[in-house]
Amino acid sequence: MTTCDLSVNIGGLELKNPVLTASGTFGYAKEFETIFDLNRLGGIIVKGLSLMPSKGNAPPRIVETSCGMLNAIGLENAGLDAFISDKLPFLKNLKTPVLANIYGTGIEAYAELAARLNDIEGISAIEVNISCPNVKEGGIAFGANASTAGKVTEAVRKNYQGPLIVKLSPNVTDITCIAKSVQDSGADAVSLINTITAMAVDIHTRRPKLANITGGLSGPAIKPVAVRMVWQTAQAINIPIIGVGGIMTAGDALEFIIAGASAVQVGTANFVNPLAAIEIIEGIEAYLAQQSLTSVRSLIGCLQV
Amino acid sequence: MIKQDNATIIWNRSLAGTVYSMGLTCSSAYQSAVPGQFVMVQTNKDLQPLLRRPFSISSIVGNQQLPKAIELLYKVVGKGTGRLSGLKPGQQLSLLGPLGKGFAIDPRRQTHYLAAGGIGVAPIRFLAQYMKSIGIDTSCIRVFIGGQSQDDLLCQADFEALGIRATITTDDGSAGDQCLITDPLAQAVQKHPPDMVYACGPRGMLACVAGIARQYNVACQVSIETMMACGIGACLGCAVQLSQEGQSYLHACLDGPVFDAKLLAL
Repeated sequence: MTTCDLSVNIGGLELKNPVLTASGTFGYAKEFETIFDLNRLGGIIVKGLSLMPSKGNAPPRIVETSCGMLNAIGLENAGLDAFISDKLPFLKNLKTPVLANIYGTGIEAYAELAARLNDIEGISAIEVNISCPNVKEGGIAFGANASTAGKVTEAVRKNYQGPLIVKLSPNVTDITCIAKSVQDSGADAVSLINTITAMAVDIHTRRPKLANITGGLSGPAIKPVAVRMVWQTAQAINIPIIGVGGIMTAGDALEFIIAGASAVQVGTANFVNPLAAIEIIEGIEAYLAQQSLTSVRSLIGCLQV
Repeated sequence: MIKQDNATIIWNRSLAGTVYSMGLTCSSAYQSAVPGQFVMVQTNKDLQPLLRRPFSISSIVGNQQLPKAIELLYKVVGKGTGRLSGLKPGQQLSLLGPLGKGFAIDPRRQTHYLAAGGIGVAPIRFLAQYMKSIGIDTSCIRVFIGGQSQDDLLCQADFEALGIRATITTDDGSAGDQCLITDPLAQAVQKHPPDMVYACGPRGMLACVAGIARQYNVACQVSIETMMACGIGACLGCAVQLSQEGQSYLHACLDGPVFDAKLLAL
């Protein structure tokens, strides 16, 4: 047995290991309950939440592409009240931190969600989604511009005392500018990257394969882009980064950590292999033992260039 | 209860043309499996293709209390099924299941019409096997099997072995009458309306079956196929459009893949 220390601290949020499940890829965790012990996860980020219920986009919503997939779910969710009454009781009983991912159609909606989540038990931190490419209002509308990204962060910060993470979009000219802006506006950490805006065409019908026309690309295809952005952002800010984008294996996760991420999120891999996050935790532990390292923290940002 | 298992392939053989039957060992989780439920199969550990593929369970070998194996029928249409067709007995596949809601079966109902189009016969075959196992008189069941050509007409002998009268049609006339399977189904429903129609096949066929059921005021359940990433309600990718506008979507993996035909915009 190894005695490696896998724990990390993300802007005040203590995680027993650096592996979280990404929002929108893990439902409300209960979906995976019979497949593995959820308490082994470093943390769980639940499906994006809005104040009011949202029915999401018309189907087809997903399509597979080379080494990846496009999705245009459109943030379907039952709204905050239904989340609190139907989903939270199960999540409260877990012995791992649960993070709420929130999105609003306006700054006021973000602020109200933050205020309401500040007052409820069972949520350890919030991740602010300013980067969903699949909804007309909210999401990317706020994340594509450093000034609006900062304003959303500020509004949430005012109403939320716990660890505040902002999830950034790769669909911008310079992600480091956005990262700096949300850091200066009070974010405790950033997570990156959300999906890359993309599309696919059916040549037989000459129509887009997604009803929404465009969607977000995820999976192994985007990992190199995500690693590059994590590395660049790590040079620009001093709050922790959670790396996300195409992580399928422990090796993938370690790339992000070495490039500067303090923790990682596993997303699309949960669909392919529901045990992916657990295998990644075990793989990181094995790597530390093999490298004679006592703590995963010694790897964060150790990239030699 | 949903489980991920490494299942061992027991057999994998071509039934006709590009249609294969695969037998896989299964855990006790499949004790509760019902017709219409499906599994997500990882066709390649090397992630090409990336996502799992959904397959309806086409039969259970052994008995319900002690399932020894599940059978999947598949047609080679792309990379994933192409890879499956090359696998040999003894090799392993990651199986996630059993998933979804199956057909609602009321044994008190008198007559049951089953309609299958092409590879859509898979859950219908399990349904017939299951109906017999719960004591439904198979002389009160009829099955209608359609395909593009003779090679697509699957499992006719299996239904007949269960004592179920089979009617077959093909698009090209290579077997049975040259017409759509919905033609003889419509005639039969008109002449002797059943208590329930159960159908699985291409969307066009299901729309037509639902229309026949509506016309003659007969209850109808359809099993649909959609794009799907996770199979367990985490991705919400398999949204299903409902017949009433303005309603929120249902999801094929959790609410289906079997639905009351009246609910859907087919």
